[in-house]
Amino acid sequence: MKPRYVIIGASAAGSSAAETLRRHDPNAQITVVSDEKITYSKPLLSYYLAGKLGEEQLFFRSPDFYERYGIEKIHARAVGLRPEKSTVELSNGQKLHYDKLLLATGAAPRFPKVEGIQRDGVFGLRKLEDAQGILARLPKTKRAVVLGGGLVGLKAAAALKERGVAVTVLIDSPHALSQMLDESSARIFEKIFEQNGVAIRTRAKPVAVLGTKEKIEGVQLASGEVFPCDVIVVGKGVDPSVELLEGTRIRRDYGVLVDDYLRTSVENIYAAGDVAQARDVLRGEPWINALWPCAVEQGRVAALNMLEKKAAYRGSMRMNSVQFFGVPVISAGLAVLTPGPLGGRPGEHDETLESRPAPGIYRKIFLKDDTIVGFVLVGDVPIEAAGVLRILMERRVNVASIKEELLELGPDLGRLLPLIVENKERFVEREFQELVHTVGV
Amino acid sequence: MERLFCDPRRCVGCRACEIACAVEHTPSKDLFVSVLNGELGPPRRRVQALGAQPYRVAIGGVVLSLGCHHCDPAPCVDACITGAMHKEDGQTVCDTDKCVGCWMCVMSCPYGAITPKVKALKCDLCPDRKDKVGRSRYACVEACPTEALFAGTFEEFQRVLAEPISAGWEGAR
Repeated sequence: MKPRYVIIGASAAGSSAAETLRRHDPNAQITVVSDEKITYSKPLLSYYLAGKLGEEQLFFRSPDFYERYGIEKIHARAVGLRPEKSTVELSNGQKLHYDKLLLATGAAPRFPKVEGIQRDGVFGLRKLEDAQGILARLPKTKRAVVLGGGLVGLKAAAALKERGVAVTVLIDSPHALSQMLDESSARIFEKIFEQNGVAIRTRAKPVAVLGTKEKIEGVQLASGEVFPCDVIVVGKGVDPSVELLEGTRIRRDYGVLVDDYLRTSVENIYAAGDVAQARDVLRGEPWINALWPCAVEQGRVAALNMLEKKAAYRGSMRMNSVQFFGVPVISAGLAVLTPGPLGGRPGEHDETLESRPAPGIYRKIFLKDDTIVGFVLVGDVPIEAAGVLRILMERRVNVASIKEELLELGPDLGRLLPLIVENKERFVEREFQELVHTVGV
Repeated sequence: MERLFCDPRRCVGCRACEIACAVEHTPSKDLFVSVLNGELGPPRRRVQALGAQPYRVAIGGVVLSLGCHHCDPAPCVDACITGAMHKEDGQTVCDTDKCVGCWMCVMSCPYGAITPKVKALKCDLCPDRKDKVGRSRYACVEACPTEALFAGTFEEFQRVLAEPISAGWEGAR
């Protein structure tokens, strides 16, 4: 009997898992269930909103991906899960039996609990239909308010600005990008946004969305101040989509808890992507880093384990790279100390290296016990160094011997070779082993 | 799969590979024309030094010419939000038409082998030289005056490393 693999979700984790299953098992029966008709890249939605990419450019897999890989794709919503019977119930009435199941249900935008938030004209920016809804309103939109100064909120704000809309970003926190940047680097970006005509308001707590049933009129703050607008985009983070777990014994915390093999607490059920709470390399505890690269890797590792090719997951960490109005920023690890459900905690670093060689150029590296725990690179710096810093951080390498050079580090792996050779047991990949062997000659 | 390796015993850090690489990725593929027309972009491999002096190896030092390792699985491919960075017959290839310049791949590459320049630029194993054979197959290998750069499998390269180099080389270093 051919084993039947069922994957719930067709985004980064789901697609990566499906592809991995097929690569390793040409005969397996693979079914992907998604409530979305097409498979597109969610991080590209702001590019689509800005008019930089068309709908057909949002595919991250070729449109014939499922056909070519012989994967059954069902356009439906998974509405029930019965682990004791190994079945999933779908919104179209279908009941699927599985031998192995992957939960890759992703996450959904978190809407603030303020009066009127359910009105027409309030959007997240998570699904293609969100972007399409915003675009449909554009001809009648002069002013927009973005709630939330995170990555999605600011990308949406920049996109709307490019469409000629007057945008105000309302941020609860003391500064923008509070989950990604420390205050001083965040200020650089607040300034860049202001210079490009996007108003940023920090410590702004919305209490109500004003308007009628058909038309929103503005956002009211706790102070009473009103920001008139025709459309609202909410970018206040996402919550893992765990509805399917209701009534099951699958253990969860914030998301679905998985072990280092991405197994849930219930047999034959795995989880990957934004819904999965897996090991975080820096925190040493299960965490959700709802990021594209983590989802792709988790999807692959989960699939290998579903195939019973025992593959341990090294763990994820927070990392992001983005450009706003042409200024690049890369931030990774525990670079922020804003407390919160996904923020940092005090004591996560004991040393900070910082350099600002010119206005708008900024590098900061956070260390704890001489290992890198986070960094921020802003502006025209050789951002290739990010990859090198990231691997040192991920492999928990003691950097005491090159601390003086860390801030000046370019894309120079050569500088790090001694550290890689000294810590070769942490660099197990074939490519690193080859390098160690080569320089050892 | 054939990949590129650098023998640290032979590399003198002359950076001929860097220039050859940059020139190969211009429309004219000619050093002087590409300089005159301002076509020259960044090289997709870099000479990297371990030790105090980059061009002459200090005692115990090493110079190496490094580029994309064509990892499998490749962190840059995992990180790519557009599907531009992908695997093709074992090679890691960037479809620059699809690249939007988000630099997630740059952040993910542990070797610093991807250059952010409007698009993500990296070693593409010289697709325009597919018809050539021997050392001319790759621009950097062809340009390497000391034959430090080697194209082949790692097993083949290991055999190269196992052979002693002539005394003359040691003197040159």
